[in-house]
Amino acid sequence: MNNVIEFEGKTIDEAIEKACDEFAMPREKLNIEIVSEESKGFLGLGSKKAVIRARALSFGDAFSNPFEEGRTTVEKKAEDVEPEKRMVMTTDDAARQARAGAAQTVLRDILQRMDFDFPVTIEYNDEYTILSIQGDGSGILIGKGGQTLDALQYIVNKAVSRESNEGERIILDTENYREKRRQSLIALAEKLSEKAKRMRKPVVVNPMNAHDRRIIHLALQNDSGVTTKSRGEGFLRKIVIVPTKKTRQKAQSAQ
Amino acid sequence: MKDLIKYIAQALVDSPDRVEVSEVVGEQTSVIELRVAKEDLGKVIGKQGKTAKAMRTILSAASSKLHKRAVLEIIE
Repeated sequence: MNNVIEFEGKTIDEAIEKACDEFAMPREKLNIEIVSEESKGFLGLGSKKAVIRARALSFGDAFSNPFEEGRTTVEKKAEDVEPEKRMVMTTDDAARQARAGAAQTVLRDILQRMDFDFPVTIEYNDEYTILSIQGDGSGILIGKGGQTLDALQYIVNKAVSRESNEGERIILDTENYREKRRQSLIALAEKLSEKAKRMRKPVVVNPMNAHDRRIIHLALQNDSGVTTKSRGEGFLRKIVIVPTKKTRQKAQSAQ
Repeated sequence: MKDLIKYIAQALVDSPDRVEVSEVVGEQTSVIELRVAKEDLGKVIGKQGKTAKAMRTILSAASSKLHKRAVLEIIE
């Protein structure tokens, strides 16, 4: 029961996050001992991961699972496959409509219980099924950085994929937020690309979800002066905009 | 708030009849306690706690409308 598990992460926070995840407990309920702090190293050389030891504080039968005992590392794979790319395009229209209808019902039911009794319309385009909430303009359903809308979208997708694992992803929108967000991300991408070229150094973009990252990657794919790649894991995954060698040399010879 | 969490949890789990939600109402903050079948625990927590996080985000949006706070505790 009182087994101690060691976790490592790029930062202490990330390691603690993993521990919370593994024990499925909030941080307060874990006894956390820091073994070593992360070190950035120099120019990415000699960087070390943060290591912590964690033990559950409370009692319960949840950890009597023999497979949990003596497990020392947590393996976790980055999920960076853009969901759009895994989309199954062969779903026929009837299945698509049934799925959209189910999603609409779930979303309406959730909204009602949140005391947001707004109409939800279904739109189809070549790629997606979009559920659009006719909101009151307060933005409360969007949340900071779209987090509430994304949370609802995630839950709705989970709920409708429970029966049928197949099918495309359902996008939630309200007040044309998705398009506005796309425009502002493209503007951000262009600004940061200019910065990377000017400074001749890689520029790191804040962590984003797969969908937002995809927009940035696509916005810069025809920009010959920079390349983009993703770094980090899970919700901490972020894009790095790297000026190409050519850009760096050109800028150097111009000096 | 209770109904909201109960509905979401039931939409995600395999044994919806074993979803129990109770609410401890405080002056400012209320605590929503969610209990599910042991096999369903992973479903309401999700990979890297993503599902639990999404539920908490939805819960805070709903409670901020009422100018209140609510915390979700998943009880094992």
